[in-house]
Amino acid sequence: MAVAVLVAAAALPLVAGQHLLTAMIVALHAAFMALAWNVAAGYAGQFSLGHSLFYGIGAYASTVLYLRLGLTPWAGMFAGAALAGVVGVLLALGVYRYNVYGIFFALVTLGAAEVAKGLADNWDFIKGPVGILLTMQYAPGDFFFLRREPYYFVALAMLVAMILISLVLERSPLGQYFLAVREDEQAAEASGVNTYRYKTIAIGLSAALTAFAGSFYAQFYLYISPETVFVFEPQLTMMLGTMVGGAGTAFGPVIGAMLFSGLGEALRNLPFLENTRQVVIGSKMVYAVLLIVVLIYLPGGLITLGRRRA
Amino acid sequence: MAALLEVQSVSKRFGGLQALSNVGFTVAEGEIVGIIGPNGAGKTTLFNVVTGVYPPDSGRVVFRGADVTGAAPHRICKLGAARTFQISKPFADLTVLQTARIGALNRIRDMAGATVKALEVLELMGLAGKRDELGRTLTVIERKRLEMARALATQPSLLLLDEVAAGLRPNEIQEMIALVRSIAAGGVSVLIIEHVLEAVMRLSGRIVVLNYGEVIAEGRPDELVDDPRVIEAYLGEAYSLA
Amino acid sequence: MIGLDAILQTCLSGLFMGSVYALIAIGFTLVFGVTNIVNFAHGHLVMGAMFVTYLLFKTANVDPYVSLIVVLPLFFALGALLYTVVIQRIVEAPHSAHMMVTLGLLIFFENVANFFFGGDLRGITTTYTTSSLIVGDISIPIARLGAAAVSLAAVIVLALFLHRTSLGKAIRASANNREGAALVGIDVGRVYLIAFSLGTAAAGLAGAVIMPFSLVSPFVGGEFILKAFVIAVLGGLGSVAGALIGGLLIGFVEALSSLYISASLGNAIVFAILIAVLLYRPWGIFGQARV
Repeated sequence: MAVAVLVAAAALPLVAGQHLLTAMIVALHAAFMALAWNVAAGYAGQFSLGHSLFYGIGAYASTVLYLRLGLTPWAGMFAGAALAGVVGVLLALGVYRYNVYGIFFALVTLGAAEVAKGLADNWDFIKGPVGILLTMQYAPGDFFFLRREPYYFVALAMLVAMILISLVLERSPLGQYFLAVREDEQAAEASGVNTYRYKTIAIGLSAALTAFAGSFYAQFYLYISPETVFVFEPQLTMMLGTMVGGAGTAFGPVIGAMLFSGLGEALRNLPFLENTRQVVIGSKMVYAVLLIVVLIYLPGGLITLGRRRA
Repeated sequence: MAALLEVQSVSKRFGGLQALSNVGFTVAEGEIVGIIGPNGAGKTTLFNVVTGVYPPDSGRVVFRGADVTGAAPHRICKLGAARTFQISKPFADLTVLQTARIGALNRIRDMAGATVKALEVLELMGLAGKRDELGRTLTVIERKRLEMARALATQPSLLLLDEVAAGLRPNEIQEMIALVRSIAAGGVSVLIIEHVLEAVMRLSGRIVVLNYGEVIAEGRPDELVDDPRVIEAYLGEAYSLA
Repeated sequence: MIGLDAILQTCLSGLFMGSVYALIAIGFTLVFGVTNIVNFAHGHLVMGAMFVTYLLFKTANVDPYVSLIVVLPLFFALGALLYTVVIQRIVEAPHSAHMMVTLGLLIFFENVANFFFGGDLRGITTTYTTSSLIVGDISIPIARLGAAAVSLAAVIVLALFLHRTSLGKAIRASANNREGAALVGIDVGRVYLIAFSLGTAAAGLAGAVIMPFSLVSPFVGGEFILKAFVIAVLGGLGSVAGALIGGLLIGFVEALSSLYISASLGNAIVFAILIAVLLYRPWGIFGQARV
């Protein structure tokens, strides 16, 4: 069944127009981000509100390395992920010493992302609030394409890889430690799980993966600034997708994110609708209501409609 | 027999309450030691100090010859001391198997091996049939058994049981007694807090009596039954083995 | 070298701004303190009140302070409606559910406002919008002075309500010990309903009172709630007086930062303060340390 979906997905560019492709790229990108956040929040129960921090690090790292050192963003992505991972680990090491949990932990992470945004706005090296513009060009070796199709395949490949990572994680000892931490830290400790260590690993891993999404954003939209990457929007995408789809599963966040982001993007571009603005806004209102309804009546997410979660 | 656990002059205060005051005793290898005392005597506090939930204000905890005073709970579990919680803490959204397996991962690094061990322990505890049930769906007794399963799966040399017989019907108490006996027979030493006197009297080779955070008596069950200090503090219940 | 006048003026505007922040944070902290719910949509409720005030002024020339007659009960009712339909269903849920559901409300309100008003910033000009009291070389904007006064009054009134009335005491009891309160016969559900409605009404108060000197768009709610977080935590979650002091402090820090460094760095400093408080003294200035 998965193979069939994959084949269909790979064949999509043959039939789809540029608008639909763009919508799909946005959806795939959103799904990737959601799964990255899911590693920390869904599996390990660390509900971070500050993941835009890591998203922005990814976007800026690969971009700056490319512009200053000529490093191809294909490699720069990994450098960005490593940097984000380190930042995540340092943040976690510092924060978890103080026994912050729940809303307090969430607010600390939110604070961290806001601090990053403020600092980025004042750092001339990365052009501050003005942001960085990348040239639209054809340079496949440097992750630049003119048509949508290559971006689509990259996004698809990234998502498939991310899904595989999630599935492997679910079946690994590391994944079990994450789940134990999520369910009951005290009981986990009593069972031999070093919760401090695994919470930190969860944040670091999630941070690194999120950074990849930031790099993709830079290469696709070709403009980054503190106002576009360090703000709450990426965080919102990750959270909405994961929580609506089903946190703590490999496919829940994919379903949730693709639903919200993909449909939103598609609606924005429907050629035959007048009053597009009203439709888009109206659809967002509907989403918001749907979100609330799902969260109240299906706390496990949409995926619970199909099966039980891990 | 070697001393497995040594609690040396442990004291612990919470604000105005002196929860533990100079508590000291040992558990030797192969023993089942009971801890009894009225409510609020400090029994669970003692467990928490021994297993590293919080450090004592003074005194030492020595486990297998190593000073583990104030060490993190996961480290103490790694060294071989596993505990259950008085109010059971199941992993609500994980299956029974997943829960036991997390305990098994304490010693066994790979998933396949840990799964085998987990199923083994679940079989012993009579929960194998419920392996795919979520923790939240279990009854109180099943949760207690799962607590014990998870602790056992960590392959401890010392098992600390906190009121595992509470709330059980008489036939279930007999089952629990038999279970703890077989665990001990398997080579695991046991330190058991218990209110259900029948259970603790039948199981323990030695009993430590706490009251107001202090050890007021220690000895074999039959010795303590006549001890006036113990009777004054606590005994006089319906269960009597005299 | 920045002159003393400029510094004083900055401090003053910082305090005024701070009192506005405090007013916004008061409802938020009250709701959290009593029901333990983080209402992410609180800033958007303020935005809603600003729009209502704007409408009343534009269509019927109603002064914002007069429009309170409508706004306060309207928002109290809105709070009650929100609680009954949405909030009470997630009271028992984990914090993550609170955050997500109120985020959903945030998105809903933002898009409702966007649908009807569009994205542009709008403002009103009352007779006193541009008036100031001149004291020496310092100018004191009347509109902001009014807001500051309302802020202080709100704290006093709420404090009196919470400590002198039996309903207020019931609210404090429920906040302190939910089960205990229920056991002595307090209808905790009703208390939560009233607390949430009060919090929403406070948001209404804030929105109306800041309209004379502010601009509103569907997107101003985000900034409001971010400030509310910092101030509520700093002052002590649940403490209304703490929200006032916290608001003043943050307004002060922001103003001085704008003067000496930059506004965005000031923002970074404010959030660094949030982090520091959460790590070292999470119960804030007026909260109580819990073991």
